[in-house]
Amino acid sequence: MCDQTFLANVFGSCDKCFKQRALRPVFKKSQQLSYCSTCAEIHQVAERVEALGQFVMKTRRTLKGHGNKVLCMDWCKDKRRIVSSSQDGKVIVWDSFTTNKEHAVTMPCTWVMACAYAPSGCAIACGGLDNKCSVYPLTFDKNENMAAKKKSVAMHTNYLSACSFTNSDMQILTASGDGTCALWDVESGQLLQSFHGHGADVLCLDLAPSETGNTFVSGGCDKKAMVWDMRSGQCVQAFETHESDINSVRYYPSGDAFASGSDDATCRLYDLRADREVAIYSKESIIFGASSVDFSLSGRLLFAGYNDYTINVWDVLKGSRVSILFGHENRVSTLRVSPDGTAFCSGSWDHTLRVWA
Amino acid sequence: MSSKVTISGDIGQACQAVEQLRMKVGIDRVKVSKVAADLLQFCTEQAKSNPFLVGIPAATNPFKEKKPCAIL
Repeated sequence: MCDQTFLANVFGSCDKCFKQRALRPVFKKSQQLSYCSTCAEIHQVAERVEALGQFVMKTRRTLKGHGNKVLCMDWCKDKRRIVSSSQDGKVIVWDSFTTNKEHAVTMPCTWVMACAYAPSGCAIACGGLDNKCSVYPLTFDKNENMAAKKKSVAMHTNYLSACSFTNSDMQILTASGDGTCALWDVESGQLLQSFHGHGADVLCLDLAPSETGNTFVSGGCDKKAMVWDMRSGQCVQAFETHESDINSVRYYPSGDAFASGSDDATCRLYDLRADREVAIYSKESIIFGASSVDFSLSGRLLFAGYNDYTINVWDVLKGSRVSILFGHENRVSTLRVSPDGTAFCSGSWDHTLRVWA
Repeated sequence: MSSKVTISGDIGQACQAVEQLRMKVGIDRVKVSKVAADLLQFCTEQAKSNPFLVGIPAATNPFKEKKPCAIL
């Protein structure tokens, strides 16, 4: 008879990610939970991190002027100007310090779902139900009609859902409801590269921070987030753990990870080097989809705008919610942190944009 | 990594799917313990430059209201 003692290996559903794995005991606030090995690793790292203090973030500016739902916004690299687009076809450039409107363009279509500021600050790009992405050079000459200088750059076969300039004013990356992303040359309007692979509408895209190379991530209605190589047009990595449409993707400041917000009411963090999801930001009390996500400068905070009119601030490392911000009177549709990290701006279906700091 | 396989009648699509899966198998993956530690390190290093964590004096923050000054 042998008197060896065996370590009973419990196999079951992980308390964190609910996957069927071999479990180990983990102690959280003196309560014993069972986590799978990956969640346990992340939990160990999170334990080492100091908790964040209380956050006081208030609406510091309210930008009023749109006649209908605000659908998209972007900051200028000067950390001051904001471009926003809305359902009524108007695209407005604001000075966020003074709340003055500097430029306004009326697009020939409604539902302008995408807008972007050029890195130089001298032009804006926008598009929506017209299936095109148009670039407007910004001019301070009062006599010049901005609409006259419009340049149509991208042509898709369905609505334009997202657009972004690459590191220069010369190239634009677009995502469309036709399931593809494309890279265009602004000057000639020529298609430089197209990216096929999504099985449904592509809703969002984000370019990798410049130091880490030529890739971008896109998220779509097929619940997949795909990372693409801009030069070859190939899909380098794909992640399919969300349970519903992915509304927004944003790279982590170091470029090694990205976060996504989805209609399944969760935000998830995916690491590119480990090639897997490493964190889920969700609460049972949050049942509305996340429409837009962005990181703070150091990557410690994840700001997410939801369809229940709130903005939740998550501690990226600990996985817990730090703060919940109220103020909008309708869905938050877009959210971006300013380039210097001092504030973030949110746009909503209540026709306004709010700058929080 | 997804292990779902969709059955499609198109051979071309199936070939593409196989190519994608082959590529996925070939990727060098880093362990989560290392990756999580790297994320933590990046955060702590950059924490000093994050205005939300560190806080900027109200005088330099363009969005915070300036206290009214009294002319004596």
